[in-house]
Amino acid sequence: MQRIASLVDVKSEEFCLNELHNRRLAAELKERQRAVRFNRPERDRERLQRQNKLFVRDRVEALLDPETPFLELSTLAANKAYDGEVPGAAQVVGIGIVAGREVIVHADDASVKGGAWYPLSVKKIVRSLDIAIENRLPVVHLCDCGGGFLPLQAEFFADRHHAGRIFHNQSTLSKMGVPQVAVVMGHCIAGGAYVPALSEYNIILQGSGAIFLGGPSVVKVATGQNVSVEELGGADMHTSVSGTADYLANSEMHAIAIARDIVARFNRIEKAPIDRVAPEPPAYPASELYGIIPKDSRSHFEMREIIARLVDGSRFHEYQPRYGRSLLCGFARLHGYQIGVLANNGVLFGDSALKGAHFIQLCDMNRTPLLFLQNITGFMVGRDYEQGGITKNGAKLIMAMSGASVPKFTVVCNHSHGAGAFAMAGRAFDPRFLFTWPQAQISAIGTDQATRVLTDIKAKQLAVDGRHLSEQELEAIRESISEEYKERSSAYYATSEIWDDGILDPADTRAALAMAVSASLNAPIETPRYGVFRM
Amino acid sequence: MRKLPFDTVLIANRGEIAIRIVKTLRELELRSAIVYHDVDAGTPAVSMADVAVPISGRTPVAAYLDAAQIIAAAHEVNAGAVHPGYGFLSENAGFARKVLEAGIVFIGPTPENIELMGDKIRARKFVQRNGFPVAPSAIEEDDPATFISRARSIGAPLLVKPSAGGGGKGMRIARGLDALEHAIVQARSEAQRYFADARLYVERYVEKPRHIEVQVLGDSFGNVIHLFERECSVQRRFQKVIEEAPSPALSAELRKKICETAVDIARAANYRNAGTVEFIFDGSEFYFLEMNTRLQVEHPVTEMITGIDLVAEQVNVAGGHELRLSQPDIVLAGHAIEARVYAEAPARGFAPTTGKILVLDYPVGPDVRIDSGILQGQQITTAFDSMLAKVIVHSPTRTEAALKAERAMQELVLLGCETNTNFLARVLADEQFLSGQVHTGYLDENPHLAAGEFGSDLSAFLAAAALLTRPVRDSADAVPELHASLGSWRN
Amino acid sequence: MNHFLELEGVDYQLWLSPCKQGYRLHLGDEVTAPIDFCHQGNGRGILTIAGAREPVRFAIDGDTIHLHIRGRTSVLRYRDPLSALALAEKHAGHLVARAPMPGVVVATSVLPGEAVAARTALMVIESMKLETVIRSSQDGVVERVHFKEGESFEQDAVLVTLSAEGH
Repeated sequence: MQRIASLVDVKSEEFCLNELHNRRLAAELKERQRAVRFNRPERDRERLQRQNKLFVRDRVEALLDPETPFLELSTLAANKAYDGEVPGAAQVVGIGIVAGREVIVHADDASVKGGAWYPLSVKKIVRSLDIAIENRLPVVHLCDCGGGFLPLQAEFFADRHHAGRIFHNQSTLSKMGVPQVAVVMGHCIAGGAYVPALSEYNIILQGSGAIFLGGPSVVKVATGQNVSVEELGGADMHTSVSGTADYLANSEMHAIAIARDIVARFNRIEKAPIDRVAPEPPAYPASELYGIIPKDSRSHFEMREIIARLVDGSRFHEYQPRYGRSLLCGFARLHGYQIGVLANNGVLFGDSALKGAHFIQLCDMNRTPLLFLQNITGFMVGRDYEQGGITKNGAKLIMAMSGASVPKFTVVCNHSHGAGAFAMAGRAFDPRFLFTWPQAQISAIGTDQATRVLTDIKAKQLAVDGRHLSEQELEAIRESISEEYKERSSAYYATSEIWDDGILDPADTRAALAMAVSASLNAPIETPRYGVFRM
Repeated sequence: MRKLPFDTVLIANRGEIAIRIVKTLRELELRSAIVYHDVDAGTPAVSMADVAVPISGRTPVAAYLDAAQIIAAAHEVNAGAVHPGYGFLSENAGFARKVLEAGIVFIGPTPENIELMGDKIRARKFVQRNGFPVAPSAIEEDDPATFISRARSIGAPLLVKPSAGGGGKGMRIARGLDALEHAIVQARSEAQRYFADARLYVERYVEKPRHIEVQVLGDSFGNVIHLFERECSVQRRFQKVIEEAPSPALSAELRKKICETAVDIARAANYRNAGTVEFIFDGSEFYFLEMNTRLQVEHPVTEMITGIDLVAEQVNVAGGHELRLSQPDIVLAGHAIEARVYAEAPARGFAPTTGKILVLDYPVGPDVRIDSGILQGQQITTAFDSMLAKVIVHSPTRTEAALKAERAMQELVLLGCETNTNFLARVLADEQFLSGQVHTGYLDENPHLAAGEFGSDLSAFLAAAALLTRPVRDSADAVPELHASLGSWRN
Repeated sequence: MNHFLELEGVDYQLWLSPCKQGYRLHLGDEVTAPIDFCHQGNGRGILTIAGAREPVRFAIDGDTIHLHIRGRTSVLRYRDPLSALALAEKHAGHLVARAPMPGVVVATSVLPGEAVAARTALMVIESMKLETVIRSSQDGVVERVHFKEGESFEQDAVLVTLSAEGH
């Protein structure tokens, strides 16, 4: 495989300016993540200490094998919701190594609102279990949840993907033979009680652990009965009387040690056999990505330069290099795994769509996972293009991408707009993982275009009422529309709403993708089978 | 060897000293017999003796203290002599007498010698009466009612000792007078239990004293010679740890003086067979401490510097012969050091340890002698003294001997039961020891020697243990290659 | 969660991770690498540690690892996290008096059923030619005396079990 010869001038002013900008963005990301992980009101910290509870981050670290990676997912979920008061949606989710096994770790964060489930908490848990199902990853739940946040119940209770889905997913996992271990480290009340109950194994902590559908106060209201927490759902009772819990632990560390011992007993799954060789680092440092991603997101950048800093040895076997050049297709290796890369080098044309559809089928036949690198403003519009069948050809790309049975991974590098964002394995198409870079913009159409359209509409509405706007007033409206639009198409908003699995520092992308590819191979890859391609 | 009135010698002992005696008996072409308690069945001492007779007791120690069984065993195997070794019945005048009354030769001093010199109080009175120096003391039996007030009047610090016994058993130091009564209560309880004799005496505890002892040998014809001195100042809890000969503290003049004093004391006591006269030496003066009327644990260092087999000389004298050697025949050559290997944990206050000996490899080399009674596979219990082996080296100079002994400690591989070999190696390499400036408080004043910091060896031990522990290694091997290569990466 | 290896009363938390030339030893923030162990049979092997080759003699007895390296002998004990962390649980609700060292019982001072106060003498043991009095750490009732006079025991053996009943 040929090595990509980088044409980037790392000494250029442009490179330096880009680097400065993107390093600032990366630092801002890290700082926001740090705050979400560790900044807690003193009283919440004190409460945990009083209850003799470890902070959720320490629980997770103790659970994981030392000296192994942890790919945290949706770290910044809910960062734009609930006035920012529910960091990480009160959940820690990620892929890590426990007793040598790749597992999903899901932990309630009792330092946030007593571990109460908010709507986005539920969404994050459901997503974590979707990941477990799609990739057949065992799950370790570290439960410490005070129940759902009632004032917002309408947003997390009734719908198809609301709280019930957690238990549906748990049941599905069990049916698939993918085991779960729950460690009850605090109260598991109401729906939360089913997390340990639906797990193959569970451990309950003496003293602080309890499982019940209704707490003592609820029982009092409902039946008039006076009961203690211990009688109702304490560790002793559940391990010796009800059989709801399996193992009794006398400290959090003891509970975690038991959980590790249980995971160590899980069968090792034979991974999907895909082509793999010894890994090789890229020939160019990942840090150069900071100088390549343009400061101005409207500027074009060469995706080969990005690929050269993600893949093994910077080697890239480009497919159809002379055709459909706005969609770069080719084979590469990521930590030794063969992958097929589709990367936007401009707007999607008919030929790019046909090339992409063909390449996806090559990879699918070849059992080669697909990596989509998005920088897409959409499919080309216009009479000639429509007459040339751009919609029909775009449908072929969507059909191929949807139908491919190999795992798909998406990184939103910059723009993600229009039907092009769908065709490049958008969230709705269930790529196994979707990550976003800090500067990315995710929206139906681009901000400038949207601002023009929306300002026009506003002006027309006002005109109907007989109001004519001065240029100054128009500018003010334009600005406010632009601001709001920009905010709601930002990577931070997308990740807050869990439209992705997290924002990545570009320099972390290679490792994150490698872990994602490895995780995906726990599920078998089905035989290729497609729908009807409109010819 | 001149003709002896016996052809079989019963060894009333066990372990390394029993083996030591068997070896000499073989050289003398005498038949060796041994008594043994069940817990010692299969030990090298039992298998090496020509004949072995089982004995029993409420405890293993009690069996080896049972004079009647031992004498019966001697009769059973037609033993004409009994060698008591050290410890157990070796300094029991009653036993010696019973042996003689049974028509058997006792390879050791006469019962009268033991009665006089084996009793600390009687011995010191005797020595004092004969004009030899002794430390200020208060003896309980002189007047039990005034014992404590007499002890107090000596002034602190004081050493409380049982009148009977030895080997440090039951000894207590009272640093201040207020601690005296407590020390007496404890010492009395231990004295009663070990020696069935609760009598005590108290003497001035000399700070920084050196323990120097002289090996003497007497026959029934009034001849007494010495085989120079040994120094045994490296002690913990009154237990000797490292012994050497000659003492680095003595000038030729002092050596002559102390050795001649010992010979004079033994002669005054009409002493027969091998014995040791112990002195306290404060750097300039020495005075009589006690006499050990038996073969000492540390006798090999004397054998190394003189080339004389002490057991053979004991047998010769006990056989009724005159000493084969005269004083001018005894020549001091080079320097010998003995290190005692104990089953103990120096870092935990020298607490005894137990375990099964899984690997045992002794150092080998010229002038390295191992006196040991243990075997690979043997279970070490607390039934007996915790000494497992003695490593004795001989070199032209003290410095070379210390180095050789240190190396021997490092080369000795004894796995399965924690021992003090690391500690011994550290002491042998310690500057203060090498300079010869030791005294009986030396180890207490240098607790770092017992603590034994690991320093740079720590990671080697942890690394080897980790690699040899399946769960530790398995969890490393269980991590998928990719994740291992990413290390503790976090996003 | 790290592994625990005990060496002379100190618990070391450590972890091995694989690397190209063998393993890395992680001890807190300290990393020693590469390390590896090559068995030569018969309790002998070669430890490779940071470029040096150290001959090792070893014996493994359950969770106890006896080692002789660089002229020094040591005993290390692997402490399984499950049992190490559960240790407190074992005698939950009970108070036990353990043997500080191996030895022999000289005398027992209490009988089952007897109420004892903190500091009450429970047993006199003999070890290393010294007597030690084993005392109750708290108030309680004697549940069981595990050894009779004259019996010997190992270090850490439970000598007397007390229950906290009635207190």
